[in-house]
Amino acid sequence: MHISTKKWLFTKISSLILLPFMIWFIPSFVSIYDKDYSEVVLFFTEQPSKILFSIFIIIAFFFSSLTISEIFEDYIHSEKIKNVANKSLNIFAIIIPLITIIGIFNLSI
Amino acid sequence: MQYKNNPLSPHLQIYKWQISSLLSIAHRIVGVINITAITIICIWSLFLLLGTESYQTINYFLNTFFGKFITVSLCWTFSFHILNELRHLVWDLGYGFDLKVSKITGVLALIGSFVLTILFYLIGKNIF
Repeated sequence: MHISTKKWLFTKISSLILLPFMIWFIPSFVSIYDKDYSEVVLFFTEQPSKILFSIFIIIAFFFSSLTISEIFEDYIHSEKIKNVANKSLNIFAIIIPLITIIGIFNLSI
Repeated sequence: MQYKNNPLSPHLQIYKWQISSLLSIAHRIVGVINITAITIICIWSLFLLLGTESYQTINYFLNTFFGKFITVSLCWTFSFHILNELRHLVWDLGYGFDLKVSKITGVLALIGSFVLTILFYLIGKNIF
């Protein structure tokens, strides 16, 4: 399979998986954003929100790294800058969810 | 594979404004806003590790009018992205390419995003 076809398929599959997670996350975020410390911690420590949020951010960052690299492909002319931008994007898409998941799994009331 | 001679996409000012170009450009911008918001939410969750006192400032900000405005705006950006992404997925299945249908689904996605914003906010606030 051609690499671009593979990338397109990964983008579409991840967007399809991401949709129900977004539909779950937005009302959940609305329900906790203005609450006090203990209620927000409870959201991130209790199941199923802890595991759903973890999966949500992994897929969201995976999907965004694929789609933002398309924007780079469309608008950055220099191959060198494009490669640096894509590598930075991929590192960012791994580091942020990883640190967050480690953080929320170490969170307790 | 050689990418070096690939042409760049035309820049935004070259397009004639119409519903399809407006939604296409908005979809990309909103996507970048959403992942920035998710990154901030991740950092917000990490701030919880610092304890109750450190969280007070963030909690105070989120309870201001500006904090609520940002939350409602995020409801819209996510709603718009969901509906327009669904539109893209239907296109990928080979449906909805007709110009008239494409314009109608575009308008529906735009209007629907505001309806979905209200629904998400009301569900989140347990008003239903």
